[in-house]
This record gives sequence, C-alpha cells and structure tokens, in this order.
Amino acid sequence: MGSVFLAAPPWENPSLFADQVAAGLATGGIYALVALAIVMIYRSTDVLNFAQGEMAMFVTFAMWSLVLAGIDTWQVLIIGVLLAAALGGFIERVVIRPVENAPPLSVVVVTLGLFLFLNGMATGIWAKGELPKSFPSPLGSTQEAFKAVDLGIATIPRHYLLVLIVGLAVMVLIYLLFNHTKLGLALRATAHNPLASQLMGINVGRMLTLGWALASVVGALAGMLVAPIVSLDPSFMLAVLLYAFAAAVLGGLNSSLGAIIGGFTIGVVENLFGTYTPQSWLGPEMKLPLTLLLLVLVLLIRPTGLLGQRAVRRV
Amino acid sequence: MRIDRPAATRLVVIALLLALVCWLPFGLDSHRTFQLTMIAVWAVVAIGLNILTGYNGQISLGHGAFVTLGAYTSALLMARQDWPFWVTIIAAGVLAAIAGLLVGIPALRLSGPYLAIATLSLAIATPQIVKKYDDFTGGTQGIGRSDGLVQPGPPGFLSDLLNRDQWLYFVVLLTMLAMTLLAWFLLRGRIGRAFVAVRDAEVAAAAMGINVARTKVTAFAISAFYAGIAGALFVQVQGIMTPDSIGILQSITFLTSIVIGGLASILGSIIGAAFVVYLPSDITDLFKKLVGAIPGFSGETIRPGALQGAAVIIVMLLMPAGVAGFLIRLIRLRPVTVLQSVRSAPAGLRSGSAAALERLSSLWDSRPGRRGPPRPQSPEDKERG
Repeated sequence: MGSVFLAAPPWENPSLFADQVAAGLATGGIYALVALAIVMIYRSTDVLNFAQGEMAMFVTFAMWSLVLAGIDTWQVLIIGVLLAAALGGFIERVVIRPVENAPPLSVVVVTLGLFLFLNGMATGIWAKGELPKSFPSPLGSTQEAFKAVDLGIATIPRHYLLVLIVGLAVMVLIYLLFNHTKLGLALRATAHNPLASQLMGINVGRMLTLGWALASVVGALAGMLVAPIVSLDPSFMLAVLLYAFAAAVLGGLNSSLGAIIGGFTIGVVENLFGTYTPQSWLGPEMKLPLTLLLLVLVLLIRPTGLLGQRAVRRV
Repeated sequence: MRIDRPAATRLVVIALLLALVCWLPFGLDSHRTFQLTMIAVWAVVAIGLNILTGYNGQISLGHGAFVTLGAYTSALLMARQDWPFWVTIIAAGVLAAIAGLLVGIPALRLSGPYLAIATLSLAIATPQIVKKYDDFTGGTQGIGRSDGLVQPGPPGFLSDLLNRDQWLYFVVLLTMLAMTLLAWFLLRGRIGRAFVAVRDAEVAAAAMGINVARTKVTAFAISAFYAGIAGALFVQVQGIMTPDSIGILQSITFLTSIVIGGLASILGSIIGAAFVVYLPSDITDLFKKLVGAIPGFSGETIRPGALQGAAVIIVMLLMPAGVAGFLIRLIRLRPVTVLQSVRSAPAGLRSGSAAALERLSSLWDSRPGRRGPPRPQSPEDKERG
C-alpha cells in the first residue's frame, strides 16, 4: 500500500487526514470568497466574470509595491480593499455597462479582454526580475506566519487560520449586508428585477456599480490572503479562479450559499486528491485536471448545481 | 455573351491576390516568410473556431486542446512511426475530429457561460495531462529533433527552386487554401445554413426539421478537425512540440482574435490570425516605441496581452462585426448613404426617449391578464443556470 499511495490511508494515520482536511478548509475559504464574488456579479448583472481572478491579482500586485515601500501589512490590506472597490466600480461603469444587453457571448469575450488586459498590464508594470515575488502575511515573517497551531483535532499553520477567520467574517458581513440592510434589499431587488426596481425609485445603475465594487473587494481579499501561500506572479490567480468556478458551478451559479459550500468542498476535495491519489498514474500534479473533471461531471449531471434554481426559458 | 462584371472583378482580384501570396516568400526575408506561414496555420484554427462560435454560436475557450492533440498526433507519428508528414496531417485532423465529437456530445447540455467554463477546463487540463504521461509524450521536453522529428523539406525536383522555409510556406498555404474553400462550400450549403439557424433560433430550427443535436455536434467535430489539422501544420513549421507550446492564453487568444477579426466571417478569421502573429511582435514593438516616446513612461510596460485585451474590448464596444465587418462597410460606403445618415441624425437623438416609452408600454401590456408583446428582458426571462 505504502508504495502505491502517496500517504498512509486515513485509517492508519488519522491525524494526517485531519490536518489535510483543515488545510483544505482554509484554501476552500479562498475559493469560496472568489466563488462568492463570481456569483454576486452573475446574479446582479448576468455576467460570468472571467476577469475576477485577474482583478484580484492586479490589486494584490499593487499592494505588493506598497509593502516594498515599507507600509504596514495590515494598512496595506485596508488600502487594497479601497483600491479593489474603485477598480470594480470603474470596470462596471466603463466596460460592462455598454454591453449590458448584449448576447452572453459578447459579454464573456469582454471579460476575457479584461482578463488579458489586466494580466498584461500587471506583467508590464510589476513582473520585472525574478518571479515569483513573495507577499508577506499580516502575521509577520514567513516562519512566524506558518508556525503550526494545535487546534486539538488538527494542526494548522497560523496564516491558514487567519484565512479561515477572515473568510468566514467576510461571508457573514456579506450575508448581513444583503439580508439585513436597506441597501442590501435594494441590491437584491436590482438583481431580481432591474426594471421594477427602477420604477420603485432605486438607482439601478448605482446598485450595479456597487455590486461590482463589492465583488471586487471580496475577490481582492481572497487574492491578498492567498498570495503569502502561493507567492506572487501574474498568473497566480488562474488556478484559484478555476477552483472558484468549479465551486460556483458545484453550488449553483445563482446561489451565494451554494458558492460558499462549493468552495469549502472543492478545497477539501482538492487537498485530499493531492494527498491520497496513487502516485504511479495520478498524483498531486493531476489534482487540477481531476477537479476540473469533477466540475464537468457536475455540469453534466446537475447543471443547476447543488442549490441553484432551475432555469425556465421562455421561447 | 453578357459578362457578369462583379464576378469578373472578383476573379481578377482573387487571381492577383494568389499571385501576390505566391511571390511573397521570394520577396521577403525568412523571418517575414515564417510569420506569414504562422498566419496561415492560425487561420486554419480561426476558421474552424469561427465555424463553431461565429456560425453555430457555441463558445469554446478550449481549442488549444484540439490543436495540441493534432500537433502531438503528427509529431509522434512522424518521430516514432516514420509516417510521411502529409499522412500525419490527415491523421491529426481525423483524431481531433473524433475528440471534438466526444466533447461536442456533452457540450449539448451546456450553453453560454457554462460551455465557456467547461471548455476552459479542457484547455487547462490538457498540458498537465501531457506532462503527466511523459513516457508516451516526451514530458516537458516535448517531441523534437532529438526524438527523430524531421521537418519536411522540398522534394528533389524542387530543391533548386525553394529552400525549406519557402517549401513549408507553400505546404501550409495550400492546406489553408483547401480548408478555406472547404469552409466556404460547407457554410453556404445546407450544413452552414443549419448551423446559423440553430444559432439564431434553436426552437424554430427544430420546427423546420433540423436535427439540433446532430447539427451542434457536427459543428464541434468539424471545428476540432480544423484545429487538429492546424496542430499538425504547427509541428511541421516549428519542428518541435511541447506541452506548453499551446497554453491557456493561446486558447483565449484564438477566441479573442476571431472576435477582433470578425465573427461568422472567413475573412474575419484570416484577419484574426494575422493579429495572433503580428500582435506580440510588430504591433507590440510599435506601441513600445510610441509609449516610450512619451516622457516619463517606459515602453517596456507595454505587453501583448494588454494590447490584445484593449483591442478586444474596443472592438466589442465600437465595431461588433469585427475588423472584417468594418472593412466591408467601408468598401460599401456610398456618398448617398452617408448623406442620409447625417439627415436622419435628429431622429436618432429622439429615439432614446422613444425607447423608454416603449419599455414602459410593454411593461403595461405584460401585466397579468393582459395579452401583449413579450416584456423586455428581465431576469426571469433569461436563462438563470
């Protein structure tokens, strides 16, 4: 058994299994955040934003240059949130608004254009010299930030714990915003029926811009939290984006709760794939293709995802 | 006998163009010839992708996977089995078409953004799979000269006339012309009309007796056939194939380039292919110089990706029919129509408020219990997952 499998099976080494699940939950938190951002935009503007990851990457690189300039990492995190909001709102106003009623193909192509543009700009501006760049954790030096904490059931590096806590906090905040404030009600109304909302006196345009800004913030937080783990180069969000797509599709593209559940599921599944698949013909480097296979299977068997609503199309 | 003037003009133009492309490899240096050869290679991919996306309305971000499959088929057959290059080109096309069939069948259940995600996964997974099974594929090193892959050269009786670059140029050009003609005949016939009908109104097409499922799968298979052929041509021209030769960015580039060139247009596909080649080289150099000339800016910040992204967005916002559509409108521009559009400008300005009124009145008509025109798009009407 030991030669076929990369790691001892769970029944022989339960603590390894617990550690892997905990680490999977932490990366799952990242995927859940990006998936949440994708779902927020998909619900409000019907746009599947392929540039979500690159928007986060762009903000993270900008913040990396601030870190180099000697600004405290916690402050950088806050500046990053503000920059992300501005970027998201700007993109909605300038690029997305004109194609609002265009067919889905055009909109997908526009977000792909954004993807290429942001990727190219970040490469041109920041990706000089040696890559990848290291992005510091707000918890301090690499050694300190990745020191393992014993939680009783599992041990987990401190930064992973921070990711999990921040991720859950953001999700709760978003939930409270959407379900317990007047602004959230307006945002939901706009997503549900823009025309009726407009007639009820909601400034629909402003709500759409705000929705993009919020989604951009959520995505950028995920980017700045995952950067210390995977280190920084212009394509570092690509894999995250794919896992987030997988998460969003698994949960249902129009369900926020689904995106979060999907994110954590994908995170754990990905980590277990990487740990327990037979080395000889699969192994860790195949975890991305395997996760994508899972995504395609979900699409084929249950295209609405776990919690998504079935689409009824009028002909 | 009455001479059909437009047809005669068209024949003359085509003959002149053919003479030009035959002269080009002798008039240009080897680098420029190589660029033209690559344009012809990408044109084959672009035409195939345009059949699927432009004519049939199915989006694919994964055509790099089919190109990679075709390239490896050709490379492996040439290096390990010593097959002649032209046989491997056909084999690559057939194998890719089978793969396209296998992808096209599940793709029937997906549309729009979902299909985009699924095909994107295909493009991302392919290089990883190729690297993983390296006994067969040569791993990260790829298949090249050291594995016995020899680029085809001119046959004996032509070896005094052409060097290898020029011979490759003509091989690729001839294949590309054949594939262009094939696409032209396919698209103006029964199959092409079925593609467009399914794209524009699936239900109506089904009601007219078109087998929608078969049409969509056929489009996928034909499109993949083109990609496979192009992959094999790619190997002949490059002389090496590695897992990262056709990456995910290249797959996205294929789609964006046909959008820039012009969707549902063969001319647009060829223009798009020219973008794929010239954008990272000549156009980027030009912009580097332009930006570098502005004081305080460095030309080095300009990257092909940024230019391409900006180009796609601008084309989408300003000329949705792409460069080809724009050119055709420019050619057909008559002074009379320009005058007319200037005269009708005030009416155009008025149409904004008219559209708002229309939206309101149709909302009124769609109240429960009333019959009227369908409401303007609201979230419930659109496909929501």
